[in-house]
Amino acid sequence: MERYGRADGVLVDSIGHLWAAFSPSSGETTLLNDESAAILEVLEAGESDTAGVCAALAEDSGIDAQEFVEAVAGGWPRLLEAGLVNRQTDTTAAW
Amino acid sequence: MTGAVTPRDVPALLEIGSERLDRMLATTGLWLDIGAATIRVRSDSPAFGTQLRAVYGYFPAIENAPWADLHVRIRKSTGVRRWLKPQATFHCDGLQTFDPFPAASPLPLFEWGCNWLIGRRLNDRLLLHAGAVERDGFALVLPAMPGSGKSTLTAALSQRGWRLLSDEFGAYDPSVGMFQAVLKPIALKNESIAAVRRFAPGAVIGPEFPKTRKGTVAHVAPNSDAVMRCSEYARPGAIVLPRWEAGASTRLEPLTESSVFPALAFNAFNYSLLGGDGFRSVVRLVRQCLSWQLVYGDLEEALGALESIWPRVLEHRMAGPL
Repeated sequence: MERYGRADGVLVDSIGHLWAAFSPSSGETTLLNDESAAILEVLEAGESDTAGVCAALAEDSGIDAQEFVEAVAGGWPRLLEAGLVNRQTDTTAAW
Repeated sequence: MTGAVTPRDVPALLEIGSERLDRMLATTGLWLDIGAATIRVRSDSPAFGTQLRAVYGYFPAIENAPWADLHVRIRKSTGVRRWLKPQATFHCDGLQTFDPFPAASPLPLFEWGCNWLIGRRLNDRLLLHAGAVERDGFALVLPAMPGSGKSTLTAALSQRGWRLLSDEFGAYDPSVGMFQAVLKPIALKNESIAAVRRFAPGAVIGPEFPKTRKGTVAHVAPNSDAVMRCSEYARPGAIVLPRWEAGASTRLEPLTESSVFPALAFNAFNYSLLGGDGFRSVVRLVRQCLSWQLVYGDLEEALGALESIWPRVLEHRMAGPL
């Protein structure tokens, strides 16, 4: 499963009912919903994949991890495009 | 960039003779302290001194200062051109950065040229595209797109006891968390000129320049209080997004932080350039300030609406961290 890490220096702040996130690498600011902001928060602890993020969110909220799969899996492309996360290289694959 | 080179005992441009001003412009130059920056201007354009004095009349006639952020020249055209269709040209650091204007319109050329330079160079401030006025030590910031009535509203406020900071730049200094003046004449266009004349018959408005790229343009002179206090900072007070609509009844509707954030960030001159500092500045502003959308079709009503919310703005700001 694809793994993702939070890009270096990303800033996230709540703005009313949304979240604003700034990526130094892209220079862009993106307004995020709660789910996307939560993904970034989970990744603060280290890189992860969809299953890992869902498990962390489930542990945090008490909601079944399966409930998050669609939102988390669907959130990666936007976060990648905004320069907020990076796709992690699987260094074990070559071995 | 820095301002604060204005000695208080220097006579204002209105107080010196036109010959002396023309001589200054033609030789050492005139230093204009606009708050966040100082502009040194020189010119050999015959019309420029008179036009400059009409709208910068209360600015001190500083002949020499240790520092200027912008060094600009307004020059009359040379060569055959000067006989056929005389022009004025704008130069900064020896470069001609704009197309020439008609020789009779050096002031609009100077204003647009300086605004362009400020928007590109004043990058130790977050430059919101906004009008800004101050009262009680707090700034009322009016971010808006062109055509929204921002300058007209800013001009009206400046004629009713609000201290003009700028009609173009909400200059927020992240290092101190406050706004600073970028004090220049307020550029009015077309119908706005008559609207401000009707609203404030005592307003000092310079000559009208017809047939510019933006139609007819005229400039409202900052008053003496605004000039004398142009180095005074203002704490963030309120953010009001104005929108002029012909015949509209005045509506003032509260805005959420999430709708104000993009209006500030994505409408600023240098938000992206400032990176994390720009982001943190805008977050701080939307958190500190109460915000509204103002739709108006009548200046008196619009000012009445803004006056009515101001006590609440002060109460809100005094209750939280300054």
